Amino acid sequence: MSASPVARQAVAQAQPQTIPPRRVTINSPSELPNDYSSTPGGTLFSTTPGGTRIIYERNFLMQLRNSPLARTPPKNLPVIPGVTAKDTETSHRENGTIVEEPEKPENADDSQFEMDL
Amino acid sequence: MSTMVNKYDALKGSEDSGEEDSSNREPKDMDKPLPPVEVKPGDHRLQFAYAIWFSRRAPGKQATTQNYDQNLKLIGRFASVELFWGYYSRLVRPADLNSHSDIHIFKDGIKPMWEDSANKNGGKWIVRLRKGLASRCWENVILAMLGEQFMVGDEICGAVISVRFQEDIISVWNRTAQDNTTTSRIRDTLKRVLNLPPNTVMEYKTHNDSLNLTYPCLPLLPRYTGLPRPPLRYDSHH
Repeated sequence: MSASPVARQAVAQAQPQTIPPRRVTINSPSELPNDYSSTPGGTLFSTTPGGTRIIYERNFLMQLRNSPLARTPPKNLPVIPGVTAKDTETSHRENGTIVEEPEKPENADDSQFEMDL
Repeated sequence: MSTMVNKYDALKGSEDSGEEDSSNREPKDMDKPLPPVEVKPGDHRLQFAYAIWFSRRAPGKQATTQNYDQNLKLIGRFASVELFWGYYSRLVRPADLNSHSDIHIFKDGIKPMWEDSANKNGGKWIVRLRKGLASRCWENVILAMLGEQFMVGDEICGAVISVRFQEDIISVWNRTAQDNTTTSRIRDTLKRVLNLPPNTVMEYKTHNDSLNLTYPCLPLLPRYTGLPRPPLRYDSHH
């Protein structure tokens, strides 16, 4: 849970394979990403046992969300009332950006920091 | 080879007719592989191709394997980040779906059924969510799956969001229920991407258990939040 992305990558590669891990040198804490789903150095591709795998971090996927290609309606989208819609307005307010979700319950956040008290 | 080309062209013309086919045929028929999913030039290819399915169970109706299968609707297939967003942005969010609805995103070629050969020795992690959390959590889980954040090779089969009356359930299915390294890595990744408190209890069920039991023999496990656990079971279609 608390392992850094680099450490997780190292664990994933701890098997006897010849593909070397990608190493990112970090000189100061400010170079660390803000969340666990990002990799220092902005990794998009990584090598893993069994060959190269295409790895995308959440932030990168989110950036592509509003690219013109991603906004093009897919061909042959079946229209299922209440499930799919041709235009994004009906399906996702604000073009799918989840911002108006209710906030997480406070106790869920608090419990993570119990150890600090 | 030429038959493949023809099938492919037919699918390009009308993908939803292929979906109608599948809902009328016997399960065996659906094992036939669909043609590969196209990735447009300039699109960001994903490690795997996926299919999005939708199902809704009529409330009160005792579900069987057969009507579960018939209720599965193929919404679309994608192998790139851009096409994923194309579909995802036109799907209603879990919070706005009717109760008893499920959205399944599975690797292309794996049906979201226990009976599929990729699933039959597998199992799933189950996270029960209080109402209001599903949309954000679901998005985080599928982005982690598509981006290969689980680091378990080819083990992931797919993910399901199940909208129920008083709660929503996210499940992540993998191929080998007995592979503890894999299942614990999936659990840890889920906790990380969902930002679950470290002491959240998560439930792993093998599909065998699901087939044999309507109600689990497990003790009642606490959910992420405090509402009483309803008697509705995601897998009551068996």
